[in-house]
Amino acid sequence: MPKKSKEELKEKDTKITKTTKKSVAKNKNLSTTSKKKNSSTKKSSKNISTSTKSTVKSKNATKKSSTSSKKSTTIKSISSVEYYDLPYRYNETVVKILAQTPTTLFIYWDISDADRNKYIEKYGEDFFYTTKPILVVTNKTKNYSFEVEINDFANSWYLHVNDSYCDYSIELGRRPINNNKIDNYVYITTSNDMEMPNNHILFDQLGKTVFFKNIKNNFVEEKEISSISFIKNIGTVHSIYELYKEIYNGEIIAEDLTSNNLFLNLSSSNSSTFK
Amino acid sequence: MTKEKKKGYVSFVLHAHLPFIHHPESEDYLEEQWLYEAISETYIPLLLSFKKLEEEKVDFRITMSLTPPLLNMLDNKLLQERYIKYLNTHIELSKKEVERTKNDSKLNALSKYYLDRYTNDLHVFRDVYNCNLISGFKYFQDLGVLEIITCGATHGYFPILYVTEQTVKAQIAVGVQTYEEYFGKKPRGIWLPECGYVPEADKYLKEFGIDYIITESHGILYADPTPIYGTFAPIVSPEGVVAFGRDMESSRQVWSSINGYPGDFNYREFYRDIGYDTDYDYIKPYIASNGVRVHTGIKYYRITGKDCEKDYYNLQWARDSAERQAGHFFDSRNSQIEKLSNIMSTPPIILCPYDAELYGHWWYEGPYWLYVLFKKIYYDDCNFKLITPSEYIDKYPLMQVSTPCRSSWGANGYSEVWLNQTNDYVHRHLHIAGNRMVELAHLYPNEPKNSLKRKALNQCARELLLAQSSDWLFIITNGTMVDYAKKRIKDHIGRFTKLYYQITEEKIDKDFLKDIYEKDCIFPEIDYMIYY
Repeated sequence: MPKKSKEELKEKDTKITKTTKKSVAKNKNLSTTSKKKNSSTKKSSKNISTSTKSTVKSKNATKKSSTSSKKSTTIKSISSVEYYDLPYRYNETVVKILAQTPTTLFIYWDISDADRNKYIEKYGEDFFYTTKPILVVTNKTKNYSFEVEINDFANSWYLHVNDSYCDYSIELGRRPINNNKIDNYVYITTSNDMEMPNNHILFDQLGKTVFFKNIKNNFVEEKEISSISFIKNIGTVHSIYELYKEIYNGEIIAEDLTSNNLFLNLSSSNSSTFK
Repeated sequence: MTKEKKKGYVSFVLHAHLPFIHHPESEDYLEEQWLYEAISETYIPLLLSFKKLEEEKVDFRITMSLTPPLLNMLDNKLLQERYIKYLNTHIELSKKEVERTKNDSKLNALSKYYLDRYTNDLHVFRDVYNCNLISGFKYFQDLGVLEIITCGATHGYFPILYVTEQTVKAQIAVGVQTYEEYFGKKPRGIWLPECGYVPEADKYLKEFGIDYIITESHGILYADPTPIYGTFAPIVSPEGVVAFGRDMESSRQVWSSINGYPGDFNYREFYRDIGYDTDYDYIKPYIASNGVRVHTGIKYYRITGKDCEKDYYNLQWARDSAERQAGHFFDSRNSQIEKLSNIMSTPPIILCPYDAELYGHWWYEGPYWLYVLFKKIYYDDCNFKLITPSEYIDKYPLMQVSTPCRSSWGANGYSEVWLNQTNDYVHRHLHIAGNRMVELAHLYPNEPKNSLKRKALNQCARELLLAQSSDWLFIITNGTMVDYAKKRIKDHIGRFTKLYYQITEEKIDKDFLKDIYEKDCIFPEIDYMIYY
């Protein structure tokens, strides 16, 4: 990765604090969001739904940070006074995406003060008041894009996408509030790429042959599906459902294998059990 | 003994993990007790079961992941001392219980049972294992019946971390290094934290010599191309990592909250504990120091039924149920393998992964169930054998090439447990800290040994790794002990960030560094250059 000079490093993020005071938003437009999911809208043309996080400004930011130190279930006899709050922001221009489910993206973003000033210098003092933020979502696998309008009070978003198992990236940009001309779009930054997980058995993509590898000598052999007894025995590839049904004595219905219902039951009691 | 020809295999994998909890500054952190409860209820009972099987000359196979934080805690002198103190307190309480219950013969027998048990724990821990349970597990690995595998350094969840790939690389590297320090060889397998699989991790798994991983069922079923044997045979990814998928049927038999084995009415009721049931003044010295009632581990009731008056626990009845259920599990695998082996060209493997702490802590009779089952598999006629994933790979190296599906073993199978509206504020901090760690390694590569800067850089790596534990995110989602989890995230990100600035401003505070190293002393041998 590129090395940063010490001068650059000194342009710090909002620093770690020993009190909660600093979490009060410096910039109204970038204050953190509340955790309530209060609306969901649909982009009718693309049939994409978005869910937003709502937007009570710095009030919530302050509230959030002040609740954390109290009501601890543990009692600490303090040896040295050490108290931290998470940095309010890092003052860098960024969009990051993560896959929450095969069809839900989590997106967070920020624009640095330096970049904000750059846009203000270029487009005028009221740039951030006369434009609105948007996310341009691109499905790179199926080669289509759509826009989602967000707002300046949020700094993260959950977004439903229709196609699982595809590569996505997201661009953060701005458009004039009262002008939908495409050439007025201002690009800000692009996210990482994210391949969404698969959520079904890929029968349709199963070719006539599969490859087997001997991992001791790395020898790869091609096998025709029709010659494999597992498949031959059950007739067609699609009958793998039947096989699982038979093995599980009807406990698992075919739907279980194409939806995630099964994992609701199976996995809910997993993970570290002490908590 | 086993006359019938073996047609397939069953492989048990127990994932033993606890987050790193170490507070030299105070003895009042209740969360520290997770370790002591796990030692008494899971780790010692498992070791004793293995010992018994060895003494009875039962050839068995089991695989366990002992995660790096758990190994560091089991090896920690302070925690070892505190565990002995925990046992002494429990022995004292058990003695009082024997006195308190003397007029009720059934209760009295149970209180004597707990007195015996805690006294024996102390003997086993101090006298047999010299306070070092790791050597106990290593003994069985060296014997060839237990395969120990590693895990991500601090159980960091790869699907969230991999936006900065070096942080996933470091989780794998430190996981492998820690294993080597304790077991003197490289691990062949890794338990991906929360079974969180991303194909981007494969190249690092290979780089550090990992042969195989464990995935949730759909990690295999939804793989690309479709694995023609489902979860009944491992697959190999294009990068060369072998993946075993969890078997659904056997999982369901144990995990199901409706008719899973641990719900048997004869089994011990987890939620009735003398910490809550006895007179407050009597129990006060044995609960939280701030007076809050907590579990003590002494529990006198059985599950009995739904919404009914609870009966006393009966050890013999509980054992009878465990034996009956071991028989059921045994028969189910036998018929499952019978069906599968007719239609597969290689013998099927039924992989049964569970949280180790399920056995003993939640399902008190679990270790006994496992002991009975292993004995049955060895002595009774059946068509399968126990095997470890490594042994299976060595025996049947020919496997389908396919990329596992991005998946986890959390609720709904993907990332919702570790990424949702209760904990999503954390991720940007983890990402930034990850990027900054990589940046530090590039700004200050190969600092001289023993230099203050090197120590600070290594501590940065420790703080980052500790912040990345999936446990904190899980606890926040789960809604219990939330304040502690949030505090841990703040502490580690806070310490990391403070040190980051101290390093870049050339103003390292020696005392601060010393203080946080004493608290966060995991991975004493870490080298921050893994982030380079």
